[in-house]
Amino acid sequence: MSTAARAGAEDDVRRLVPDVAALMTALDDADYLADAGLATALFLSVRLPQPILLEGEAGVGKTEAAKALARVLDTPLYRLQCYEGIDAGEALYEWNHQRQLLGIRLAEARNVNVDEADLFAEQYLLRRPLLKAIEHPGPRPAVLLLDEIDRADAEFEAFTFELLAEAAVTIPELGTIRATHPPVVVLTSNRTRDLHDALTRRCLYHWIDYPRPERIAAIVRRKVPGSAEPLALDAASAITRLRSLDMAKPPGIAEAIDWVSALTVLGVERLHPAAVKQTWGTVLKNRDDLELAWARGPAWVAGGGHD
Amino acid sequence: MTEGAPRNGRTGIDAASLAVGFSTALRRAGLPGSPDRAAWLARALRIVPPTARDALYWTSRVVLVSSRDQLPVFDAVFSAAFDGTSDPADSRGDANSPPAIGAEERIRAAPADQRPATTAGEDGELRAPATSAARGSSDLPPEPGRDAILAMASAEEHLHGKSFAELTPDEAAHIRRLVRRIVLSTPERRSRRTRQWAHGGATLDIRRTIRAARRTGADAACLVYARRRPRPRRLVFLCDVSGSMEPYTQVFLSLLQGAVAGARAEAFVFSTRLTRLTRQLSNRNPDHALALGAAAAPDWAGGTRLAESLRHFIDGHGRRGLARGAVIVVLSDGWATDEPDQVDAQMARLRRLAYRIVWVNPRKAGTDFQPLAGGMAAALPYCDAFISGHSYAALAEAAAAIRADRTESDRADTARTHSAGKQGKRNAA
Repeated sequence: MSTAARAGAEDDVRRLVPDVAALMTALDDADYLADAGLATALFLSVRLPQPILLEGEAGVGKTEAAKALARVLDTPLYRLQCYEGIDAGEALYEWNHQRQLLGIRLAEARNVNVDEADLFAEQYLLRRPLLKAIEHPGPRPAVLLLDEIDRADAEFEAFTFELLAEAAVTIPELGTIRATHPPVVVLTSNRTRDLHDALTRRCLYHWIDYPRPERIAAIVRRKVPGSAEPLALDAASAITRLRSLDMAKPPGIAEAIDWVSALTVLGVERLHPAAVKQTWGTVLKNRDDLELAWARGPAWVAGGGHD
Repeated sequence: MTEGAPRNGRTGIDAASLAVGFSTALRRAGLPGSPDRAAWLARALRIVPPTARDALYWTSRVVLVSSRDQLPVFDAVFSAAFDGTSDPADSRGDANSPPAIGAEERIRAAPADQRPATTAGEDGELRAPATSAARGSSDLPPEPGRDAILAMASAEEHLHGKSFAELTPDEAAHIRRLVRRIVLSTPERRSRRTRQWAHGGATLDIRRTIRAARRTGADAACLVYARRRPRPRRLVFLCDVSGSMEPYTQVFLSLLQGAVAGARAEAFVFSTRLTRLTRQLSNRNPDHALALGAAAAPDWAGGTRLAESLRHFIDGHGRRGLARGAVIVVLSDGWATDEPDQVDAQMARLRRLAYRIVWVNPRKAGTDFQPLAGGMAAALPYCDAFISGHSYAALAEAAAAIRADRTESDRADTARTHSAGKQGKRNAA
């Protein structure tokens, strides 16, 4: 169990995030608006400490949450984007064969003796995210983001977890590298397949709900400098309205940000039907959805309540 | 666990008893739990003192829930244990967001006598659902002539050709054992991983070459070639378990179960709603797996909402990657209560994701079968193969269709048919 290797959060971390409210404020300062649920989840993952599995629709800010957490802890974020067929060479470490060969050639040219230990020295080691996170010297643990873990093969999932539970890597040529500050592990999944029980058993879990219009507006205003509050709120409510339709690809926060950026560039101050018509393309990216919204008409999308 | 419990959570002992009590309540409500979860919760409650309802809610939810599907149960138990009255939806986000799989209201499993685990073949009569009773006259058990010929062969071979709908319980059990052993394999695609390969069509693998060259003092004495390793495509079954399919579901479930165990297939069943059965059917004991599957899907032998189920599959699973590049096998008679137009639209979406779509319709074996059922007619242009699969012998044909590769001309043909079909429908409308 990972708890064996990690007795509890270090003093430094404890001082930085004393409670949930403090983490919430800190995340806010790091330009990430987290609600009580997400803040509690991240807080526990740092303080218990246990890996946390974040799920939610595309674009609710799963990856962003990990990045913000790294900013709050003021530690590096090591991100491993998983994909089908990913293996240890891409996740953990690999020897830099080209450089090793070059080293041999150089030594020959200079008439110097090289022995094997020289060739398998640290400078020939290509460190991949998992190793980097384990090797991280501190003073606070790094944040390791395993993005879209459901895309990797089940075997890779098992391998990763064994590694994180041990918090140590054995490289035959170099010996064992043990983590002094085991990383804070954040996993995200899009539910393309059922994750293995062994993984879910070892993780905390949080489902990120799609936020309410006020929160979307707040997020948009953070991300789009110069956007007017009424416009952001209009766009956020319009997006919430669009999401109530039965869409193939419901617009998310990214679309809200794109939309408000576009409207701001066009000099629009309040959302009105004509502006909606002009900017459909930043919000709806599927022809069927477009037809669906079209049937309701731009006035319905714009809300029509205020003008 | 009383209403006062959250306030007392500050001391270790109370946190521990609260944690154990609450996780036990959840386990009783059917959530998988383990003792270490309770221990985690006790520790978590020490660092996040449950001074308010919300703090307790989020802390216990983050620790005790391990999948979105469990949220409704968790919310209900939490609410019952700590406030008794409040609606758990208040503390969760956007009420407008579309419900995901499992978020819908839980429906209890149908009583045992409606599940396909019981023998459906006893009465030998086809039970059609109310909606299709009117046009149901054409679906007599198939091909008496063929059965007569097969009857001359051994008893076993006779069974091979016999329609699943006509089997006696003993025969059905026998056939189900056979069906479970059908080996299914899908066409291959290239994965991202490479494997060493003899030259010829393969690309030079510099990394492997150099690694090999270290042995010979850094001279690349032999070149290593690699090629992307072929992997079988994903296989997805969508099995109709509505009333009209009842004579066949028992055998088809055995097929699904064999495929899940042997070919790592994904299995879904649908009638009025869609249920993912992969996990239940992957149980090693086949009878146990079927029982689990029967218990998990709440609506055996109900009506058919083909388009709705397809849409749920695509939105909830297919688009996220399950259907992409996959071989999709739909086992259904195409009798649906929804509009053919909707079936058409959903099939078009599925088609864009899938590698091939194989449709298995046991009614096809009928001598005077015409794919006229609204849903079936709408779906047909999108299918790469259309097979009867009403008997063991016919299922072998389905296995061949699953194995088949896509040919480019196939796609071009059907693409033309689609646009023509769509055009025709538009004009007609």
